[in-house]
Amino acid sequence: MEPDTQNGGGMAKLGIWLVVLLLIIGGIVVYGKRGEDTKKASVKEPIKIGFIGPLTGDLANIGANTKAAVEIGVDDINSAGGIGGRTLEVVYEDSQCTPAKSTSAANKLISVDKVAAILGDTCSSATLAIAPIVEQAKVPLISYASTAAKVSDAGDFIFRTVPSDVLQSSFAAKYAVEKLAKKKVAIIFVNNDWGLGLSKGFSEAFKAGGGEAVFSEGIDATSKDARSLLSKIKAIKADILYLLVMPGQAEIVIKQAQELSLKISIFGADPLEDMTVWNNAGKAGEGVMFTTIGTSPSDDFKAKMKAKVGSDEIIYSGPFAYDGLKILGKVIGEVGTDGTAIKDALYKVSYEGGVSSPKIEFDQNGDPKEAGYAIKIVKNGKPVVVK
Amino acid sequence: MDIVPQLIANSIIAGSIYTILALGFNLSFSTGKFIDMGYGVMMVIGGYAVFYLSKILGLPLPVGILLGLVISGLVSYLAYTVVYKPLRARKASGAVLLIASLGVLTALQAVIAILFTSQFQTLSGLLSGNRVFEIFGGAITAVQLTTLALGIFLFVILAVILKYTMCGKAVTAISDDEEVSKIVGINTEKIIGSVFFISGVIGGLGGMLIGFDTGIEPIMGLPWLLSAVTAVIIGGIGNVYGSIAGGFLLAFAENFGIWQIPGEWKSAITFGILILFLLFRPRGLFPK
Repeated sequence: MEPDTQNGGGMAKLGIWLVVLLLIIGGIVVYGKRGEDTKKASVKEPIKIGFIGPLTGDLANIGANTKAAVEIGVDDINSAGGIGGRTLEVVYEDSQCTPAKSTSAANKLISVDKVAAILGDTCSSATLAIAPIVEQAKVPLISYASTAAKVSDAGDFIFRTVPSDVLQSSFAAKYAVEKLAKKKVAIIFVNNDWGLGLSKGFSEAFKAGGGEAVFSEGIDATSKDARSLLSKIKAIKADILYLLVMPGQAEIVIKQAQELSLKISIFGADPLEDMTVWNNAGKAGEGVMFTTIGTSPSDDFKAKMKAKVGSDEIIYSGPFAYDGLKILGKVIGEVGTDGTAIKDALYKVSYEGGVSSPKIEFDQNGDPKEAGYAIKIVKNGKPVVVK
Repeated sequence: MDIVPQLIANSIIAGSIYTILALGFNLSFSTGKFIDMGYGVMMVIGGYAVFYLSKILGLPLPVGILLGLVISGLVSYLAYTVVYKPLRARKASGAVLLIASLGVLTALQAVIAILFTSQFQTLSGLLSGNRVFEIFGGAITAVQLTTLALGIFLFVILAVILKYTMCGKAVTAISDDEEVSKIVGINTEKIIGSVFFISGVIGGLGGMLIGFDTGIEPIMGLPWLLSAVTAVIIGGIGNVYGSIAGGFLLAFAENFGIWQIPGEWKSAITFGILILFLLFRPRGLFPK
């Protein structure tokens, strides 16, 4: 029986190799044809730009709000005749703001959709994760929300319309020392690039202003138990808590601080703009202050956003993403879809009349040259601007 | 101010929820003999059932909770009959069952996310005020006290049932040796099915309590499951007393650990303990 089995094995092996061969030939034929098709159609094909953001997960609200703003941008550009006669198409990818998902989204956009440029990601850790990928593929990337200091040095192809945290945290620290007359700060930061960057920037500026940073500890992004951290802060007797966590975690820390009757002013950063935090926090949220990145959306933009999302909520990242898209549209219209050409043009662009800031120009790091901030305080369950 | 009373309170709060989750997990693990990752999603289902029934549909809270418990129990029972039972009948290995249960976790989690979005939701709005009690200088809320009470209650009930009732004795017999139990005439499939129902109910209860205390989101299952598994391994697999010891030991270690070292190391403490136990005392504090 043995020779037979061996013979059968040999036949089976031959069969497998035949299948492999067929697949290879078939693949070459099909892909070769596809190549020809794209060449022929390239004139009429839409220009594709990728969008990466948290469309699901804890930050889904930010992602959805930003996506709506980008959709408005696409409509605006296409109704004005597109880019050089070609329509603009944005391919949306979900990253949940995690470096791993963002990486696969970027790879997909670059190799499958062959996008000319990418808008993304929201979280700095995710943007930093995809920076080397777009850098290697020579695809320019504009982040509309990643504010970590490190993004400045992420690469030549990495731009952002949103200003760096270094500016935001020092602005917040100065406000806490000078206007609120606080002397001892405790910092809780989410243990990632964003949290670490802001916490460092804040404590440096706070010390420079004559204050003292008495406590600075991280918390895992998934943790929903800050009680022991807050208990330590209560024992230290700090007079202000700088809270650097994201929606989904912020309301819990704020509530737990109230449960532990921790009497302390809480001061946060721009992600607290998200209304879900205040809906969930309820009364515990009253009096919490935070910095927001100053945006001055036009009434036209506000109306369009309201029609898209069904509420007045405009998260800061939306206008920055809208302007990022408009800038890309403008630049691609001038120099075409070559990545390096777009990159070179971005360093020279001067874009005015945007919805995020009056004028956007990039410095040598790809950061915006100007930045404005405002302070908001939660009153009756809603953040309002402090004058 | 002395920080120790609050740290003790924090540990008790965390420990009581770990205990509840560990009790349910221990039950299905000791009879089914595989790591049921799907248990994680029962917490999510319990929490979202209350969220949907009471917060969206506006049913009275007790009705929502009761229905929620039944739903999470039924889903757990169905997961067993539809997925695990046929696999077990085919003598699938523990690894296969583990992966199948991971599939159950991921799939059901996705369904919840599609139905209710991935947004973080709180249930605390359903309660008319959550009073804060001060006990020896440590603050603890009414929800957390309820969690503690329920944890102790469940522990006592399970211990009594397992020891004194026919059904409980059958469960113990199956966890000792399934084949022999079959031979002596125990309807093992039926018993294991009801064990999965009960463990689903306990998981659902845990999810609701988490929802009332902090909040719920579709992806919360896995991190809580991992803590429960750690508590079970510390306490001793298949031992009810182990669940309570493991749950509280883990909670005290985590909360007192970050007293001296920064908070970002909390999960490192958890899993460090897990590794130490697996290496040096793999059968836990109270081996069966």
